[in-house]
Amino acid sequence: MPQPTVREYVLPRDITITTLEAGRGEPLMFLHGAGGLTWDPFLDTLATNYRVYAPHLPGSGPSRGLENIRDLWDLVITYYDLLDALGVDSINLVGHSLGGMIACEMAAADPSRVQRLVALCPAGVFHENRPAPDLFALLPRERVEYITYDPQSELASSLLALPEEVDEKVEVLIDRLTTLQAAAKFLWPIPDKGLRRRMHRIKAPTLLIWGRQDRMIPPAYADDFKAGIPQAELVMLDKASHLVHLEQCAQCVELIGKFMSGTAPKSP
Amino acid sequence: MRFIAFHLMPYRNLPADFEARYPSVWVNVPKSLYDPAEGHRLYHQYLDELEFAVDLGYDGIGVNEHHSNAYGLMPSPNLMGSILARKVRHSSKTALLVLGNSIALYNPPIRVAEEMAMLDVLSGGKFIGGFPVGTSMDTNYCYGVNPAEMRDRYYEAHDLIIKGWKTEAPFAFNGKYTQLRYVNPWPRPMQTPHPPVWIPGGGSVETYDFAIKHNYSFSYLSFFGYRYAKKVMGPFWERAQALGADMNPYRAGYAQLLCVSETDARAQTDYEQHVRYFFAKCLHIDPRHYEAPGYRTAATLRAGLRSQFEAAESATQLLKEGKLDWNGLLDRGFVIAGSPATVRDRLIEAARELNTGNILLLNHIGSMPHHLTTKNLQIFAEEVMPQIRRADPFEKWNPSAYWPQKVLSERL
Repeated sequence: MPQPTVREYVLPRDITITTLEAGRGEPLMFLHGAGGLTWDPFLDTLATNYRVYAPHLPGSGPSRGLENIRDLWDLVITYYDLLDALGVDSINLVGHSLGGMIACEMAAADPSRVQRLVALCPAGVFHENRPAPDLFALLPRERVEYITYDPQSELASSLLALPEEVDEKVEVLIDRLTTLQAAAKFLWPIPDKGLRRRMHRIKAPTLLIWGRQDRMIPPAYADDFKAGIPQAELVMLDKASHLVHLEQCAQCVELIGKFMSGTAPKSP
Repeated sequence: MRFIAFHLMPYRNLPADFEARYPSVWVNVPKSLYDPAEGHRLYHQYLDELEFAVDLGYDGIGVNEHHSNAYGLMPSPNLMGSILARKVRHSSKTALLVLGNSIALYNPPIRVAEEMAMLDVLSGGKFIGGFPVGTSMDTNYCYGVNPAEMRDRYYEAHDLIIKGWKTEAPFAFNGKYTQLRYVNPWPRPMQTPHPPVWIPGGGSVETYDFAIKHNYSFSYLSFFGYRYAKKVMGPFWERAQALGADMNPYRAGYAQLLCVSETDARAQTDYEQHVRYFFAKCLHIDPRHYEAPGYRTAATLRAGLRSQFEAAESATQLLKEGKLDWNGLLDRGFVIAGSPATVRDRLIEAARELNTGNILLLNHIGSMPHHLTTKNLQIFAEEVMPQIRRADPFEKWNPSAYWPQKVLSERL
C-alpha cells in the first residue's frame, strides 16, 4: 500500500488538524469513526480515482485542540475552517459512523460546502425502544464482535492486536483510549444530538451504505436517514457489520464511484 | 490524629449468589434486589450508629455520595447530613463531614453552596464540605457527564461555589457550563469565609496539585487500606514538597476498614463474614463501567497502565477470586483488625507511614449488623482512641486550617 502524505493544518482557535492525503482527481474528504483513522484498503482504493483528504478528529492521533472545541456545532465550524485551509469551497464528503454524523451535520448546516454526501452507517440517531449498544461500555473484545461480521477474521484480530513490549503496548492503548475519548465528546452519553431535526436541510445528493449485519448501529436506524434526507439512496450490503467499508471494500468503492459520477444506484 | 466514623450505608441483604448472578453492584444493579421496608430499617440503624459515634466523641462523622449503587445508598448525602446536623449541634467535639458532593453533577452548582451553607448553619459551624470529582460510574455512566468535560466542569463549579461563599454582593457568572446573571446564595455559611473543604481523590496528579494549591485537605478513599494507600500518599507528599507546602499531616487523610474486638481471635469471629461480604459483593463492579474514555488523563493512564502490566498478581484479583484468607487481608493492610492494642499499634504505624492525620474509619463494613457496629464503634472510642491520643505522633501539628474551629477548641 503506498503511503499517503501527512499534512498539518493550523486552524483558528488553537486547533491543529493532521490529515492523510493521497491520490489525484476530484477532492474527497473522509471523516473516520470512533475507532480513529488509519490508512486502510478502503482509502487506498478511493485514492486511485480521487484526491483523498482524511483528517484525524481533533484529540485523536496527532490532531490537537479538542479542549478548544466546545460541542458538535464548534466541531462543524472547525471542519469548515479546514475546508478553508485546503482552499476548497465545496467538497465530496464520505463519513463513517461518527464521521457520517459529522458529515451529515456539515451538509445540513451549510449545504453550499458539500457537493455529494456518502454516509456509511452514520451515528446520530437513537431510539429508546430499540437502543443501539453503548459503545463506551463494551470490553474491547465485545466491541470487535459488535463491529465485525466475522469476529474470527484477520480484520477482527488486527483490531485487538497489541505489541509485546510494555512501553509500546501502553502507548497503543493510550492512543485507542484518547481516540475514544475524542469521539465520546460528541457522542456521550447517547449518540443523538438532534440531527433528525436538521436532516431536511441537506441539499447534497446522498448515498447511505449500511452493513446488513451491523450490530453497532442496527440497520433499522437507516430508515430515519433515508426518510429524513431529501435526496437519499440507501444500499444495504450483505456479509458486513459496522466496518462495512472494510468488509465489503470493493462493493463500497464501486457504489461510491457510480454515485459520484451521477449514476446513483438503486437498493438491491 | 483525628478520627472520623465514616459510613457508606450499604445494602446488607444482597443474595448469597449475588456476584455470580448479577453483573454489578453499581450502575445496572437490579432494583428488584432492594426491599424498601428493609431499607427503612437500615437507614435508621445507620443514622443511629453515626449519632452514637457523636456520643462516643469521635472527631467527625462522615457520609458520601453514590448513584445507582447497592453499597452506597446515599444519592443525596446532604439529606443524611441535615438529619445528623441536629445531633452534631449539641456536640463540642464532633464535626459533620459530607465527603462530599460531586460538584460537577449539580445544576447549577450553586446548589452545593446553598446546601452546604445550610448544613454549616444547622450544625452550628461544625461542617466540613467535600468536593470529589466523582467516580466514572457515578458521574459519566449514571449522571451522563461527558468525560471529556468532567474535570473542566469540576473546576468551574468549584470556582463558582467558592466565589459564591466569599463574595458579599451579588455577582454575575459567565462560565462555560454555567451562566448565572445573579449569584447570591442564601444562607451564608456560619464559618468564615466558608467551611473547610476536603478533596477526596484517587491517584491523579491534577487532584493532588489542586488540593495543595488551595490548601484543602486531600483524602484517599480506597477500600484497600494503608499499605495500598502508600502508592498514592507517597506521590501526594512529593507534590506537596515540590509546591512548597508544609508536611502538616492534617493536609491529608485516608480511609481504613477497621474491626476491633476483645481479642485478635475474637475480631475474626465477629467480623470476617461481613468483611468478606464487602469485598465479594460491594466491590463486584462491572469492568465495562470502571472508567469512561477520558476519565483519566493520558499522563495518569500512562503510570496506571504500566503498573497494571508489570504487577505479577493484583491484590484485587486475589480478593475477587476469594484467595485471600483473614491473615492475608490483615497482612496486606486491607483491614486493620484485632484487639484494642493490635489496632492501636497498626493505626499509629499506618498514620506515620502515610503522614495522614485524618483517619476515615469504616467501622461499618458490608453486612455488619447493628449490634456489631456499635460494638466496633464503642471499643474503638473507649479503648483505642484515648491511647492513641496519649501517644499521638502528630501532636505538634495544628489541624485548624482543615477543621472547624468549634470542634477544636475543647481539645487544643
